[in-house]
Amino acid sequence: MTPSAFAVPIENYIGLSAVIFFLGVTGVIVRRNPLIMLMSIELMFNAANLALITFAKAWVNAAGHIFAFLVITVAAAEAAIGLAIVVVVFRRAAHVDVDEIATLHG
Amino acid sequence: MTHTPLGIEGSYPLLYLIWLLPLAGAVILWTFGPQLRSLGGPVGAALVGTAFVAALVSWNDATQISDKLGGAHAPMVSWLPGFAFGLLFDRLALVWTLIITGVGFLIHVYSIGYMSGDRAFARFFAFLNFFVFAMLTLVLSDNFVGLLIGWGLVGLASYFLIGFWFERPSAVAAARKAFVINVLGDVGILFAVIVIVTKVGSIGYGDVFGNAAQAFTSGELFVVCLALFVGCAAKSAQVPLHTWLPDAMEGPTPVSALIHAATMVTAGVYLIARCAPLWTASAEARELVGVIGALTAIAGAVLGIAQWDIKRILAYSTMSQIGYMIMAVGVGAFSAGVLHFLTHAFFKAELFLGAGIIIHNLADEQDVRRMGGLRKQMPFAFIAMLVGVLAICGIPGFSGYFSKDAILYGTLQHGHPILYAVGVITAGITAYYMFRLLFVTFFGQFRGNVDASDLGIRHPDSGTPGQAARLAHEAEEREHHGSGHAHAPAWIMSAPVAVLIPFSIGIGWLAIGGENSPWQTFFAPVFPAAPATADVAPIPELLSGVIVLVVVAAGIALAYLRYGTKAALGASVARLRAETMKMPPVLVNRYYFDAAIDALFVKPAAAAGRFFGSFVDPVVIDGGVREVAHSATWLGHLFRSFQTGLVRGYALYLVFGVACFVVYYAVIGAGK
Amino acid sequence: MIAFWVLALALIASGVFTITASKPVYSVVGLLGNFVVLAILYLTLQAEFLAVIQIVVYSGAILVLFLFVIALLSSGVKPFDEGTNRLPRVLIPALVLGGIALVTIVFSAVRSPSPAQPSITAGSPGALGQTGEAGVFGSVANFGQTLFTTNLLPFEVTALLLMVAVIGVVLLAGDDVPSRLQVRERGTEREPIVKSGEPLTR
Repeated sequence: MTPSAFAVPIENYIGLSAVIFFLGVTGVIVRRNPLIMLMSIELMFNAANLALITFAKAWVNAAGHIFAFLVITVAAAEAAIGLAIVVVVFRRAAHVDVDEIATLHG
Repeated sequence: MTHTPLGIEGSYPLLYLIWLLPLAGAVILWTFGPQLRSLGGPVGAALVGTAFVAALVSWNDATQISDKLGGAHAPMVSWLPGFAFGLLFDRLALVWTLIITGVGFLIHVYSIGYMSGDRAFARFFAFLNFFVFAMLTLVLSDNFVGLLIGWGLVGLASYFLIGFWFERPSAVAAARKAFVINVLGDVGILFAVIVIVTKVGSIGYGDVFGNAAQAFTSGELFVVCLALFVGCAAKSAQVPLHTWLPDAMEGPTPVSALIHAATMVTAGVYLIARCAPLWTASAEARELVGVIGALTAIAGAVLGIAQWDIKRILAYSTMSQIGYMIMAVGVGAFSAGVLHFLTHAFFKAELFLGAGIIIHNLADEQDVRRMGGLRKQMPFAFIAMLVGVLAICGIPGFSGYFSKDAILYGTLQHGHPILYAVGVITAGITAYYMFRLLFVTFFGQFRGNVDASDLGIRHPDSGTPGQAARLAHEAEEREHHGSGHAHAPAWIMSAPVAVLIPFSIGIGWLAIGGENSPWQTFFAPVFPAAPATADVAPIPELLSGVIVLVVVAAGIALAYLRYGTKAALGASVARLRAETMKMPPVLVNRYYFDAAIDALFVKPAAAAGRFFGSFVDPVVIDGGVREVAHSATWLGHLFRSFQTGLVRGYALYLVFGVACFVVYYAVIGAGK
Repeated sequence: MIAFWVLALALIASGVFTITASKPVYSVVGLLGNFVVLAILYLTLQAEFLAVIQIVVYSGAILVLFLFVIALLSSGVKPFDEGTNRLPRVLIPALVLGGIALVTIVFSAVRSPSPAQPSITAGSPGALGQTGEAGVFGSVANFGQTLFTTNLLPFEVTALLLMVAVIGVVLLAGDDVPSRLQVRERGTEREPIVKSGEPLTR
């Protein structure tokens, strides 16, 4: 069993990351439920994290890990704030379809 | 470059006084006119008279000569190197100053009588004083910029005074015309000044004349002379910029006498005489100015034949006489030209003032066809006019004889026989129309109560519809006065005329004695000596004088035959009527100059104005502004439509943009 | 190699389930699966600490937060997706372009392999044994050392960020929202300053 048999090209990880990111984007755009939109955003965060960690491994540099750690922190903060906003909007509007919340319409 | 004024450097305080007294008068009269009431006239006259006395007192300082420099000089301010302002009082300026203040004083006195009862009595004298100040600025300045300032101020004063009776549309139109043409001349002088400053680096007369030879090529010198002459032509009513002068007779008669006969219109003569070194150096400029002067002389004289308005006859004779002066200074006979200015100032002022007496006593009647037989009713005016006419015709013994003779012989001396011939013919025509004026006005029967249509006045030959309306209006007024009411002039009006009579006769005697005459010796240090061709005159001076006299006599005889004989005087009404009807249209319409100017400049300008007013401004400019505003609105609507307020929409834009970036970088990367 | 493909498929499948689920609760489940698979992938990339964090923080904290909110909001409320879909028509071209971008990224990554590190060896002999020790890349000790020495400032800033988030959440979701922070009422739209088609002057 040579290492090459188990070797996974770095490109595969990057491609996987891109696919996940694209799934997240699609979720944000297609879904009208703000909770699912937030979860799609989490998907995108994770896709980014996967790329970061892949690069860290490829260049044997822990900075990628640190960055992924920060991203997780930001994701946590974002989720907290986003959910709080959802709660506030829900209190005012009684339903949480993002298409109905268009006060910024010019 | 050190500044070298023409005069002897040094402060000469009296000069400031001469210069500023009329200005003080203008300010006082303008400010306190309503309070001064009828005192306004005497105050204005007194200030100008004081200036005259001050100028007389300065005689010795003005004529002093030392080290080739002549006259007094008073420095004022120095702005930049080369831009030193000051007052120069040399012999040339002295002559002009004496005329401006002296004749000006007499006309001020005359105006007290002429303008009495006018609502704006003080305003008139304020303007008159302002004019004297402006004219003094022009002649006393020691540099070209000061000259230009005076030049412009004189035009402004002329504008004020022509349009003095601004209730009349014709007066306003005449004032505007005069101002526009004068400004055209100002532009010419401004251009000349700019060239001079560029080339010489100084504006002072002394610097410019001293360095003219080194600073200018002959072509540049000609351009400078040409530009200066544009100013002269506009101010001195030379062809083709003469059309304003006859119209300027809309102003009060004293104004016509002072500004449009004696002083302002001779500013061109002054300028050329002042710039004699430049003209001496440029043969082409001499040629041009001489030809234009001769052309103006004969054109004005011919038009004088066709006029019926007494002031217009005098206006065209003024134009013609100034043509003489310009011709003289143009060919290089400077002292002769200045002498004619001097004599003309007296006899033309006298003619105008005499005409003013007639006009005043006939309740503003100016048409000679409605005069006639005034010799008995107004003997004083007759004598005054007679002396003036004899002087202008050049009858020996009268002043005009000497100056005109000097000019005509001067053209021969400087080698211009054609100009001489034109001048002689003009002298004959002048004699003809001046005696025609005399006969029609003073001999025969008074025609003031003859019906206008019998005299052919149905078609007012000269002037605007406004003037015709005025004539009709004044005819009505005469009905109330009692028809043909003529009375002797008040002493306040006759006194200045009486003072002018001896001068009109005797001022020319200064030129008796040929080369050694007082006049020649007076100006010998000022003007360059006549060129070497001076002796090549084909005929002696005496013969020249005889020729002129013969032509003049022929003109007088013709006028006598047509207007002066018993038969002609008896049938004057029918004769005048026939003549009015048969007047050649080219003369009635003054060679179609006004029509040509109208067609060439006024109409296109008006059409351009209408085009800009009706299309460019509302459609292009306003439309452009409106379109900018509309496009801003449109852009606003466009961008507004992006602001859907939908969170997912915004996310979509984001994705769209990011995708574009990604594709772009992928393409870039693929290219490497 | 095979392990990677299995994990990748699982990851994509759970992601798709997340975004297509009809109810948010299902999405949370999908997301949970996604995170777990992702944690395993992190392990294959020698990121032990992050793999654990992924489970603990994401699955344990964030997803639970989601669940709380779902539970809070969905009692007796009509489904969220009931209103009209007002998404602009650019959806299709945008997704197409996004797809093109995705394909471009994947294609470029595959086309030009990194010469320095051609591949990642997962599950190579002794890999797990090595990673646990200090000084070895990917180990928890190594990560901690890097975090608290070289990257101490970012770490502290993270703390600040979390604090701000906490304050924000308290302000937003608190019972007594200060009145001045309340959002404008809907329907109080301003009059347009310039109406379309109306000349500005005259």
